[in-house]
Amino acid sequence: MAYISLTAVHKTYPNGYCALKNINLDIQAGQFIAVLGPSGAGKSTLLRVMNALDPATQGEITIDGVTLNKKNYRKIRAHVGMVFQQFNLVDRLNVMTNVLVGRLAEHSWLSSLFYLFPKTDYQIAEAALREVDLLDKAWSRADKLSGGQQQRVGIARALAQQPKLILADEPIASLDPKASEEVLKLLRKICSEKGITVIVNLHQVEYARQYADRIIALNAGSLVFDGSPEQLTKAKQAEIYGTTYEETSHDAELVLAYT
Amino acid sequence: MTLSWYWPTPNGKPPLIAVLSVIVPLAVLLLTASTVDMSYNKIFYAIPRMLDFTKNLWVMPDWHYVPQLAKKMLETVEMTLLATALAILLSMPLGVLAAKNASPHPIIFRITRDLLSFIRALPELVWALVFVSALGLGPLPGIMALSLVTVGFMGKFIAESIEVVDAKAIEGLESTGCTKFQSILYAMLPQAVPDFIGSLLYILDHNLRAASILGLVGAGGIGYDMVMSMRLFNYERIGMIALSIYALVTLLDRLSDVFRQKALGGILNVH
Repeated sequence: MAYISLTAVHKTYPNGYCALKNINLDIQAGQFIAVLGPSGAGKSTLLRVMNALDPATQGEITIDGVTLNKKNYRKIRAHVGMVFQQFNLVDRLNVMTNVLVGRLAEHSWLSSLFYLFPKTDYQIAEAALREVDLLDKAWSRADKLSGGQQQRVGIARALAQQPKLILADEPIASLDPKASEEVLKLLRKICSEKGITVIVNLHQVEYARQYADRIIALNAGSLVFDGSPEQLTKAKQAEIYGTTYEETSHDAELVLAYT
Repeated sequence: MTLSWYWPTPNGKPPLIAVLSVIVPLAVLLLTASTVDMSYNKIFYAIPRMLDFTKNLWVMPDWHYVPQLAKKMLETVEMTLLATALAILLSMPLGVLAAKNASPHPIIFRITRDLLSFIRALPELVWALVFVSALGLGPLPGIMALSLVTVGFMGKFIAESIEVVDAKAIEGLESTGCTKFQSILYAMLPQAVPDFIGSLLYILDHNLRAASILGLVGAGGIGYDMVMSMRLFNYERIGMIALSIYALVTLLDRLSDVFRQKALGGILNVH
């Protein structure tokens, strides 16, 4: 059985905008999946319905055999890490606390009230920081770090949740090419070594080809491509973005020129 | 001659709303000035009397009054600190409940907001009158009145600084499956700290001045001595009292500047 399965998932926002239309998707555990598509295609929404940050309006989502509903979404989130485009760290807290936050779901309100964490949590957080190579910054304030470093703290927070799935919503869209590559390599490594399923939203087709096991593409809220990187031909790519073949290849050259 | 100066609007004229917001208040002021006995003659003829009063202040200070003055000033400072500390303890939870994004329920949000504005509706002096008649004379009713009004203000300030915190960090926390209470503690409060410090220093300043007049109604502090020396034309004391209040407020102002610099410069780290 698939690790994640979406059945007839629809998402309509309160303002009437329909972001996802009848999505059916099965995802196997331990895969690295890239989600492509033009801006506004529903890439972010697809990730955000999976941990109910934006709950689906119709359809069924099952993660690891548990079907998402209003009562269990916090329980599901506890083991689903999320990485954001803007990192979504607490700027005024130090890096260590930002990572320890990933442990909060396991704790009672009373220990949280006093900012107290057990020793085992520090060990988990330290391991996560070592994984992203930022242990030396553990006691710096989060906003003193560079963008790439902040994103790695975001990944460490996700790792501290000891997740089986990490959702990364355009994790490199605010980063320079060098930091982008570092972050993607890190996510790829986490996926390969720890067997954590990683779903990444991307704008760069070339990165998707390079890192992903499987590529999914959305356009206007519908699934328009689902296959291996090899199956994503230039013609398919043009179809996804609704451009002509020449334009796409030109864009691809530009992307390469920047990296 | 054609004017070559224009307002930055599509037609170059000032927006109607801006014109009205100048003209309407001006008209209201002109029409109502007479009802509050605003008379330039009266102000003019009062000048000699004011000068007279100022002249009377130039007398040798009453040195025997110094111990009593010091005791009363200390009482004023103690009242300020105690009332402010009590108020912070009470206004923290109320502020959280009165913040739209942190309140557990819209009804609780509404009730807390209304409670806070009810508390703020009456000034310290009026609350002090109420408490003096209930508890008798002394600093205690003064402290109670002061902390009550401070809760009203601090609660509102705290709520407002929580409402403007960056929503991204809150979302980051919620994505980990933590509870709303935990996201208030770890995402909202740390980010609201600079605002808290700003309001706290303002409130301290305000409370010191408020505490120095609460004696007017017998609620402790330097106020009672000030009013009595005014009524008895005891110029030897009035000057001393005014000067020591001035010195204290200035001192607090300097201290809070230093503290604010440190807090915002990140030396005061929150872990």
